[in-house]
Amino acid sequence: MNYIEVSLTFDNCTSENREIIAAILGEIGFESFSDIPEGLNAYIPKNIFVKEDFENALDPIKPILENISVSITEIEQQNWNAEWEKNFTPITVGSKCRIRAPFHEADSNFEYDLIIEPKMSFGTGHHATTTLMIEFMLDIDFENKTVLDMGCGTGVLAILAAKQNAKKVTGIDVDNWAYVNSIENAQRNNITNFEVFEGDANLLSDKSFDVIIANINRNILLNDMDKYANSLKPNGILLLSGFYSHDLPMLIEKAENLDFSFSKKIEKDNWTAAKFYKQA
Amino acid sequence: MAKVVDGLIKLQIKGGAANPSPPVGPALGSKGVNIMEFCKQFNARTQNSAGKVLPVIITVYGDKSFDFIIKKPPVAVQILEAVKLKSGSAEPNRKKVASVTWDQIKEIAEEKMPDLNAFTMSSAMKMVAGTARSMGVTVSGEFPGKN
Repeated sequence: MNYIEVSLTFDNCTSENREIIAAILGEIGFESFSDIPEGLNAYIPKNIFVKEDFENALDPIKPILENISVSITEIEQQNWNAEWEKNFTPITVGSKCRIRAPFHEADSNFEYDLIIEPKMSFGTGHHATTTLMIEFMLDIDFENKTVLDMGCGTGVLAILAAKQNAKKVTGIDVDNWAYVNSIENAQRNNITNFEVFEGDANLLSDKSFDVIIANINRNILLNDMDKYANSLKPNGILLLSGFYSHDLPMLIEKAENLDFSFSKKIEKDNWTAAKFYKQA
Repeated sequence: MAKVVDGLIKLQIKGGAANPSPPVGPALGSKGVNIMEFCKQFNARTQNSAGKVLPVIITVYGDKSFDFIIKKPPVAVQILEAVKLKSGSAEPNRKKVASVTWDQIKEIAEEKMPDLNAFTMSSAMKMVAGTARSMGVTVSGEFPGKN
């Protein structure tokens, strides 16, 4: 998605004035800010930027800013992570699974050889939240199962499920780049039973699965778990990841209220992944 | 041996909302840092302040690793929160004159006291009230402390 960069410069650019501008623009959808020598740059997704709202928001504080000048630029989305991605190291999980980039040689010692070119999407295996999920998945029999990868990012977990002989794998991601990237990675791994949708858990209303895996974050997992419950078949498996170990009790409580039974947790670097079964 | 510092990056990002777009993407990406790793960590660490603008200072090291510290919400952000609490509305209504109470000013001053360049609670409160007025937010009632 393209972003709008609003550059504000003014003579009295104290840190207090910068913070005031950031606070006020934060209220109308601006997401982040960086200091520049004479002021502040503010960033907002293009699709929610309304110039009139911006001007109205700025009005009350204009009197305190001396000689304010504003310039608005559209920034084309590009792969800002390209520098890191061009030489990342392959990751192995257990003795069976290896995740590598297209520029790495294959290693035939691994049963599951996953080729991922991330293009700024989540899921290269470098983060504990992904490796914990893979550890869980390697112990699950996916043969003939229908699988949902919620927040699929690069599609790495969906691709692993497909390589473990899942019948059909569905990915959902809210980010357009992840949507496109997961399709590319599925093709790269010769996966033909993968489909992906761009959006959020509201897409689940008419779907049902044997296994749902979701590596996202605490707040989204808590918010969407009822939708996972509705879309999971009786005795189905739910794998959750993307949260700190100390948040696990909160997730278990929510899951048990939705008739899941907690089965197992695994931990790494203060992150936890958890496995649940849906009661029949 | 201490790691070599390649650069310091100071940004303000909404809690739980870091993503690889500008300014995070270009600032970290150009240094060869894995942006996605930063976003995952930042969003998890700020999950209890989702949506609040938070200052963050990121240190990037020569080996492309990084760490970062997240500061408390700036006074200006807390004033807007206080306005919403007082009016009971999620959106501060800019058409009306927004206001906060001295009690709210005191709460903010107490929390930010360590960061403020103030010797006494009274002067800290006056600084916070000054920021509020700069933002077009009035402070209702009489100043409760000593002048």
